Amino acid sequence: MAERLIIDQLDDAVAEILAGRAPDLTNSDPVVAMLAEMAVDLRGLPTEAFRAQLRQQLGRREEMSSPAQERKAQTVRGLWAHLVFSNASAAMDFYKKAFGATETMRLTEPGGKIGHAEMKIGEATISLSDEYPDYGSLSPQTIGGSPIKLHLEVVDVDEFARVAVAAGATITRPIQDQFYGDRAGQLLDPFGYTWAISTHIKDVPVDELQQKVEEWATQEAEKKSKKGRREGFHSVTPYLTVRKAPELVDFVKSAFGATELFRTTGSAGGLHCEVKIGESMVMIGGGEGIQEWPTAIHLYVPDVDAAYQRALDAGATSLATPTDQEYGERSAAVQDSTGNHWYIATTFTPLKEIDQDLHTVTVYFHPVGAARMIEFLDQAFGAKEVMRHQSDEGYIYHAKVRLGDSIVEMGEAHDQWQSMPTAIYLYVEDVDAVYEQALQAGAVSVVPPADQPYGDRNAWVKDPFENIWYIATTVA
Amino acid sequence: MSPVNESAERLLIEAAQKDPGRFAELYEQNFHRVYAYVARRVRDRSESQDLTAHVFQQALANLDKFKWRGAPFSAWLYRIAANAIADQARKRSRETGDDPVPATSQIAELDLEAVERRAQLFQAVDKLPEDQRRVIMMRFADEKSIRDIAGELGRSEGAVKQLQFRGLESLRARLSEK
Repeated sequence: MAERLIIDQLDDAVAEILAGRAPDLTNSDPVVAMLAEMAVDLRGLPTEAFRAQLRQQLGRREEMSSPAQERKAQTVRGLWAHLVFSNASAAMDFYKKAFGATETMRLTEPGGKIGHAEMKIGEATISLSDEYPDYGSLSPQTIGGSPIKLHLEVVDVDEFARVAVAAGATITRPIQDQFYGDRAGQLLDPFGYTWAISTHIKDVPVDELQQKVEEWATQEAEKKSKKGRREGFHSVTPYLTVRKAPELVDFVKSAFGATELFRTTGSAGGLHCEVKIGESMVMIGGGEGIQEWPTAIHLYVPDVDAAYQRALDAGATSLATPTDQEYGERSAAVQDSTGNHWYIATTFTPLKEIDQDLHTVTVYFHPVGAARMIEFLDQAFGAKEVMRHQSDEGYIYHAKVRLGDSIVEMGEAHDQWQSMPTAIYLYVEDVDAVYEQALQAGAVSVVPPADQPYGDRNAWVKDPFENIWYIATTVA
Repeated sequence: MSPVNESAERLLIEAAQKDPGRFAELYEQNFHRVYAYVARRVRDRSESQDLTAHVFQQALANLDKFKWRGAPFSAWLYRIAANAIADQARKRSRETGDDPVPATSQIAELDLEAVERRAQLFQAVDKLPEDQRRVIMMRFADEKSIRDIAGELGRSEGAVKQLQFRGLESLRARLSEK
């Protein structure tokens, strides 16, 4: 045995080891014994084939990105935009100039019609063709627009837009920094496709984006509700109509710090004046021989005691001295020399926290039959009741009703708080429709809808509670 | 594991968590460890392969859940392997009615050293001169006879035995360097 070659001795040992047996090394060369130890550990050496196969297998799983997506049949390999044109060849020329696109393929019919073409716009690929109505392939020009917007992420959105516009694209949304962290805008190409273009500037967390979207939606809703209203006006503006109108203007200025914004001669020959108190507008008008429409106003002031005193100094009489109310206000009431009631109040907490819909000026009705009046406001103007405090018998102590962006308040007429027919300038979106609706709800027409020289279209109606409503929308 | 290797591995894991395509590198670095670990507990070759494949598939599928806590990535792989081996043993004991083998999760430190040594040996095979490597792979991994190897390589049996001898010698030399 000892004479055998060392390589044969080792191979004998290896053969035993591979067969799962312990080799007999008693007569072996010490080197063989040492190397046999290695051989024992090498038994079970993984095959190259297995290692490569597993590597490949894992690679396939990576493509699928998660084990839940192993349903191979549903694996999507790509998404391609295929654009149809009434003149694909012209479109291709345009995209070359406007977007720096390159043509990578063009299949044409003998007549020159493009059946299929492909272009690269930077790293993106689009395919395109001429129209084939028989195959349902129609261009935006034929259909009358495209509901799909194509979005190109570009390196420099401003420069990209500049070149595109020079080539004939139209900017439909200006290039601006957007809340979602892109600088972006929108182009319309001459063939009817809309291209959103953007350059990423910064990452914005998704929860922040959601918040921004909600803020935006609120602003949009506000914008929409302001449609048809003059700048600075809420839906409801009281029109205090009295014989001594200039006297009333002076009173609101000195007692409540009103700012006069506009003064002219009204349509009936008297005064028409617009003042602002806080963030609310108040119209004041009238003159000698004009029917008066004094109003009750719920007015929030910075300091009720001071306002109360100034009102008395300016000639008002006290209806109620300043008192803390359990509902969170300190309030007082005065009647000015022209007959209007002012329920003035200061809140202990910010007004917005008490009722975010209340403005500085809120009209207060004292109708006989408050429940019926709420019903009328609903039917005539689409008003929504937001609060009602009433007795078991249905006697309404206090109610709030929403009209557009405004609230009007009311309480059943009682004691010294008797019905006080009022005039209201009410901004709506569609004067004619609301006018018709009001008449159907029981109002009486005073002046049918007409365009006014001052830019509003308006109509006058008198409701069953003797209040005058100027239903208006701003046209100009 | 040296701090340099540790931070390199950490970067690699983070990269693979973002881009599963980078998992290939983690696979290559840990293949022999996992295989050696599994092969130490499981004698059968096809079973070793199945378990090794399972460990990497699980690791890839759950990579996003891996949190760096200072232990090497291989420790995580070993735990997946230990669980897989224990599961298989339980399954088998239900089928055969035998007592399951003791839980393998408590593999002794000593055992891990042996695993690591064996993984290094497997890895060292990759770095052998090509003629030696081929013979060692065919003999120990493919378990072919000297005669078959000689036939395939077109060399004499003596030459193949010579390469086997030199291959084992080189491996021993490489491992004793470490």
